[in-house]
Amino acid sequence: MTRHLPAIIFLLPLSLAICLPLIGIKHREWCRPMAFAVIAGMVLVSIANLVGVLQTGTIHYAFGGWAAPIGIEWVADGLASVMIVALSLLALICVIFISSVLFPNLGSRIVPFYTLVLLLVGSLVGMIFAGDLFNLFVFLEVSALCAYALVGLAGGKALVAGFRYLILGTFGASLYLLGVGYLYAETGTLNMADLAERIPLLVTSKAIAVGVLFMFIGLGIKMALVPLHGWLPDAYTYAPDRVTPLLASLVTKVALYGWIRIMFWVLGAQAVIYQIPILFLVGVLGAMAALIGAFLALSQKEIKRMFAYGGLSHIGLILVGMSLGNQTGFAGGVFYLLNDAVMQAGLFFWAGAIIHLYGVRTIEDLVRLRGGPGWMSAALVVMAMSMIGIPPTGGFFGKWYIILGAVEAQNYLAIAAVLIATLLTLAYFLKLFERVFRDRSAQQPPLMREVPLAVRISLGATSVAIIVLGLMSDHIVNFLLKTAVPPGL
Amino acid sequence: MFELIQGWLQRPNYIAFVLLFLWGIYIMVTRYNLVKKLIGMYLMQTSVIFFLVTTSAKRGATVPILLSTTEAIQPEVYTNPLPHVLTLTAIVVGVATLGVSLALADAIYKKYGSLDEEDILKRLE
Repeated sequence: MTRHLPAIIFLLPLSLAICLPLIGIKHREWCRPMAFAVIAGMVLVSIANLVGVLQTGTIHYAFGGWAAPIGIEWVADGLASVMIVALSLLALICVIFISSVLFPNLGSRIVPFYTLVLLLVGSLVGMIFAGDLFNLFVFLEVSALCAYALVGLAGGKALVAGFRYLILGTFGASLYLLGVGYLYAETGTLNMADLAERIPLLVTSKAIAVGVLFMFIGLGIKMALVPLHGWLPDAYTYAPDRVTPLLASLVTKVALYGWIRIMFWVLGAQAVIYQIPILFLVGVLGAMAALIGAFLALSQKEIKRMFAYGGLSHIGLILVGMSLGNQTGFAGGVFYLLNDAVMQAGLFFWAGAIIHLYGVRTIEDLVRLRGGPGWMSAALVVMAMSMIGIPPTGGFFGKWYIILGAVEAQNYLAIAAVLIATLLTLAYFLKLFERVFRDRSAQQPPLMREVPLAVRISLGATSVAIIVLGLMSDHIVNFLLKTAVPPGL
Repeated sequence: MFELIQGWLQRPNYIAFVLLFLWGIYIMVTRYNLVKKLIGMYLMQTSVIFFLVTTSAKRGATVPILLSTTEAIQPEVYTNPLPHVLTLTAIVVGVATLGVSLALADAIYKKYGSLDEEDILKRLE
């Protein structure tokens, strides 16, 4: 039974996404509870899957019974199972937030809306489990298509932002597919484990080098690595407030996970392209992304846009951790990735809630929060502490392990990049805090509105999760070191 | 140098792929009309599909359906079926992307009354 759990996790959201348009014709109000129930079921199955993987080792699921190099394989190893648990928990919280009464009624569009959300979650599961490069491409495109449609749902400026996202995203996907084609032409296989055996024999091949670069640029566009991030700020700023947390916390992170999978499990940590170690390349780009993202966040006036740039900087930090080439750095990077997913979800919950409760869109408007419910500010403080990296939050320990890894690798530039990014993050959150807590110039009466239950649950859950991740960091990192470290590191 | 060019000219299908790919990118970057951008995008996607198919081509080979079930299988008689399968999936993905993109372009046209990117950006201000 345990053997089939990876497929079940994927089939749960997919089958409901297929059935929902039929059910929705008659019973529109069923969409919300059914989506919630299915994703709650996903959480349970994914935890069972994690336990099963820990007990019996990596699960290789062969679809249709065709064995690995020829058939389609899904691999549920330690890292993938941990990611799936995080993904389904975050999806659950996001679905609670989506159903809040805060947002305008979607009317009949609620049925396609929930279909897209479920399809997005399902395709992300597929990306995490995918055991061959082409499967990764297919799920990458399915998730991206859902994301384009969800961004465009808000209408107005979001349509243009969604269109730009689509053009750039498709360009990235085409480059990725081209890279896969190069690798296939050179090695004759698409299976990741099979490729990992054949690529070391072909290190001097130009086709492998170019193919890997194409794949990296393609996934770089999808994960919004800084020089390739053009679509992200607009898309996240204008996307409907209810789906931004889902997109921000999951879509870019899973694309990043795809690259980690290829970098460590297919190419190997020691891979070198034309005398340039690939980890070095990724580390330099990550450090650049961490600094430039934080700088750009500092100069933003809109809150959602500022958080979007903050997310770009964190993608860079995760890549810095990955690029250190030792186990501590890798575990720190994965731990920071989990944290960042929670933080991005929490920040965009907060930003969406204050837009709809108090009409606060820019940093100037934040004065209106004064006199509002104290725990809205408290949630912001927790999230900000984690973004900056102040103990006892998860963000602190993530950066801590990344720096430990950098010390181990004697990579002082990486330490400098992490510290400067931290200072810049502190600077842009101080800008927010100054408005919320210190500014006494404007004397607007605060707008008092009851905070809906769904918003309270989702904000509370992410804040608690950040603290718990921080307090449990020791156990989680040790666990990752034991179960999720790639071979050869 | 001469040998290099000679080597290229012996593989006209790869040259065609490169031209189509770059042409698609060129259209995507230089045209302001959203539908023309989509045409460029589709051209680029199609060129990648063309590349996949062309890697499977073989002189004198036939479609990968077994000629005889009794004799031993001779791999050199058939073209490689796998790139064709990838191509099918990639075509489906491309068509779905085109559908979503046309829906977005249609919604933009209804909202802003124009498909010209400069007009739309002016109206966004």
